[in-house]
Amino acid sequence: MSARDAILGRVRSALRRKVSPGDTATIESHLAAHPVGLQPPRDWEPELRFRARAEALASTVEKVPGLSAVPGAVARYLVVNNLPTGGVCWPGLRKLDWIGAGLGMEDRPARGDDLVGVTGCFCAIAETGTLMLLSGPDTPAATSLLPETHIALVDTARIVPFMEDAWALLRAERGRLPRAVNFVSGPSRTADIEQTVTMGAHGPYRVHLILVG
Amino acid sequence: MRVALFVTCLADLMKPGVAFAAIRLLEHGGCTVEVPRTQTCCGQPAYNSGDRATAIALAKKALAEFEGFDYVVAPSGSCGGMVRAHYPELFRDDPATLKRIEGLASRTYELTDFLVNVLKLDSVPGDFKGTVTYHDSCSGLRELNVKAQPRALLAKLPGVTLTEMNEAETCCGFGGTFSLKFGEVSTQLADNKCGNACATGADAIVGGDLGCLLNIEGRLRRRGDLKTRVLHIAEVLAGRSE
Amino acid sequence: MELRANEFRARAAANLGDAKLQRGLGLIKVKAVVNRASAVAEFGDFEALRETGKAIRDRALADLDLYLERFEREAAARGAVVHWAENASEACRIVVDIARENGVKTVAKSKSMVSEEVGLNDALIAAGVTPVETDLGEYILQINDAEPPSHIVMPVIHKTAEDVADLFHAKHGTPRKTDPALLTREAREILRPKFLSAEMGVSGANFLVAETGSTLIVTNEGNGRLCTTLPRIHVALTGIEKVVPTLEDAATLLRLLPRSATGQAITNYVSLHTGPRHIDESDGPRQFHIVLVDNGRAKLLAGEMREMLRCIRCGACMNHCPVYQAVGGHAYGWVYPGPMGNILTPSYVGLENAVALPHAATMCNQCGVVCPVKIPLPDLMRKLREEQMARGLKPWPERLGLALWGRAAQRPALYALGTRIAARVMKWLGGNERLIHRLPLAAGWSDGRDFPAPAGKTFRELYKERRK
Repeated sequence: MSARDAILGRVRSALRRKVSPGDTATIESHLAAHPVGLQPPRDWEPELRFRARAEALASTVEKVPGLSAVPGAVARYLVVNNLPTGGVCWPGLRKLDWIGAGLGMEDRPARGDDLVGVTGCFCAIAETGTLMLLSGPDTPAATSLLPETHIALVDTARIVPFMEDAWALLRAERGRLPRAVNFVSGPSRTADIEQTVTMGAHGPYRVHLILVG
Repeated sequence: MRVALFVTCLADLMKPGVAFAAIRLLEHGGCTVEVPRTQTCCGQPAYNSGDRATAIALAKKALAEFEGFDYVVAPSGSCGGMVRAHYPELFRDDPATLKRIEGLASRTYELTDFLVNVLKLDSVPGDFKGTVTYHDSCSGLRELNVKAQPRALLAKLPGVTLTEMNEAETCCGFGGTFSLKFGEVSTQLADNKCGNACATGADAIVGGDLGCLLNIEGRLRRRGDLKTRVLHIAEVLAGRSE
Repeated sequence: MELRANEFRARAAANLGDAKLQRGLGLIKVKAVVNRASAVAEFGDFEALRETGKAIRDRALADLDLYLERFEREAAARGAVVHWAENASEACRIVVDIARENGVKTVAKSKSMVSEEVGLNDALIAAGVTPVETDLGEYILQINDAEPPSHIVMPVIHKTAEDVADLFHAKHGTPRKTDPALLTREAREILRPKFLSAEMGVSGANFLVAETGSTLIVTNEGNGRLCTTLPRIHVALTGIEKVVPTLEDAATLLRLLPRSATGQAITNYVSLHTGPRHIDESDGPRQFHIVLVDNGRAKLLAGEMREMLRCIRCGACMNHCPVYQAVGGHAYGWVYPGPMGNILTPSYVGLENAVALPHAATMCNQCGVVCPVKIPLPDLMRKLREEQMARGLKPWPERLGLALWGRAAQRPALYALGTRIAARVMKWLGGNERLIHRLPLAAGWSDGRDFPAPAGKTFRELYKERRK
């Protein structure tokens, strides 16, 4: 008997299944309905909540009126913080005028020594101040992970209240999950040594969010 | 109202004054108090040691002794919790007894809970003067929700000032047989409790369970503190503390 | 992991005197406990959330076979390879085989308690593969001669920054530094090339989403993301009980897990992996293997310990346990310390190999009231004690004492006589101070505590006298 059959057999006998395979009707109805569980009260406006939460998680946040203002904002942020003015961006962002803002942004996969990564996001979640990033040819996962500084563009029209709303948006727009869904809530951190919170464990030391809208 | 006093084995053996204080408080609240003579122990030591058969036998014995009363009151959250929270579980496969046990459980109260929520006492006879700090016993707190009741009663004593200790809700380390099996760990937890209690500068450490109080007092005396009193809440409220 | 659960008593006692350990444990009370409390208060109706979380886990367990099959089907449809391991050695063999078939030399590991449970690192090393722990805490332990973790979320809670400073200085040959931020950077710089060169990444999974065939991991450091993004093979190793039905169910549990573990509303990273990389993607593993480990879990499903399978491994039970706070995680002698370990260790390694653990609790139920999925931990410990009794695993003096006391307690006249004598003996032992300094047969008590002596008569006697 295969390990699979042995394990499932033990589970079935533990559950006192009489028929095998079992009747999937009960799980089908739950999977089809995928009901929303308990959410905290929504006594906030999503953009304000997102911003406040993101800042509480040690991200920095600014807002620009449109995509064309993004390269200038990125350049200002990098210069003010004494950071390199070059890095990598998602291929999907290649059409922005980076050169015009004095930046050297390459639309290639991130390498281990890249210092700045610029990404968009699929949507953002107000409840927790979280970005939702989907992996894909134009949205590689490593861009938000390997560089020491992660700059993310957030379309304010795509700030949803809860994670469940993000799942609904994903189902509606994509139908199925990409290889990786990464929820990002601020810079990478650890508190392993004496429970002292330290930024930049293995991922970015800083996350800068540029709200567009 | 006919109330049976569940004396508890520790009050019977170690501190009879606690049971007399409980009787005084119940009578003060207008109860007719009876003390079933054949009572011994609620069975918790057996239950927590994994001796289910003895626990069931003692639960049945308690059922026979206490079933006929309007209420059963114990000066202990631990014994009260045993009856209320755990007796029904012992009879989950015995529906006939379960129904009776559930009736008993629903009429069984920890003393301060009973005084506040059933008798709704507006005064207590005690005359204690001084500052006290209150240790919340685990069973009373987490099984019977005893937290505000003893404090409300202490507030009825004009001479008493309550000063809360840090970690009042943290276990003192008694844990029944735990205190014997893991003496060093138990002692350490008792020491933490003594430290927190003494830091308040209170004249007395007060609690609702003799197990905890023996543990706390035992550690306190070994630490060399012969002055801070360790009292059961019933003694303070009834005014018969030595 | 080496099993030393039967040494609990001695190791616990020894740890009470370990000043460094005590300092680390002291931080739990002022940080983890305080942070959880404020995160819980901030949420609002956390009790209702716990109830919802419990219901989600119970739903998954009630149809575990069906959800596992659905998970497998969806994962396979997306190109993941699902393996099943009945026990620790099978789990190790599966992972080692994947490594061998693909010429893997280095494995980057993200924190996984199941990998500790099955002893994966030893198996990889024996097969000539180098595992590199990448969680900062786990890395510190690995370079310290593979020391076991002492907490499931904060593995080096027993170490000070000074300890880590000495270790890094000795092992890395770098100038000694004590600032946690600088130590963290040093580890980052050493581990970054390992991530980039490792052929295989091994992670655990906090949840398996049946609906989509995805594995979900929560991390703060980002090492979990690196292990699952950069190496060409990703192996997720987890227990069969981790399945949850839907993405929405995962969202609800994600409100419970980080709040209960560290007091965070969400961890820095929550990553959901579904299948290997697409042909046109520039990153992500080319192979995605999921190893579903039983190792005793299906057996728990059948018995009285079933509720333990709801556990989402947050560590709140140990953070809030007065015994854990006093003795630390190593005393428990296996992978899972604290109240969860008191149940999981005897359940997975055998009750006879962890005799003390079901008793290593005061039954204060602090663990039960903080558990995010409402596992009645003390009740489960008590059931294990009942099983010990039934199987004759209790030492004879305890059984004898219990039997004598039990008989007496059922015979009121005998009991009255016994207590009458005991009250007088204790009064005599207490002397004028009314304190017993040495209790016969109960040194466990009187080595560190006096025993307040009674006044000499039982309530039963006095009540009778007063009624006359």
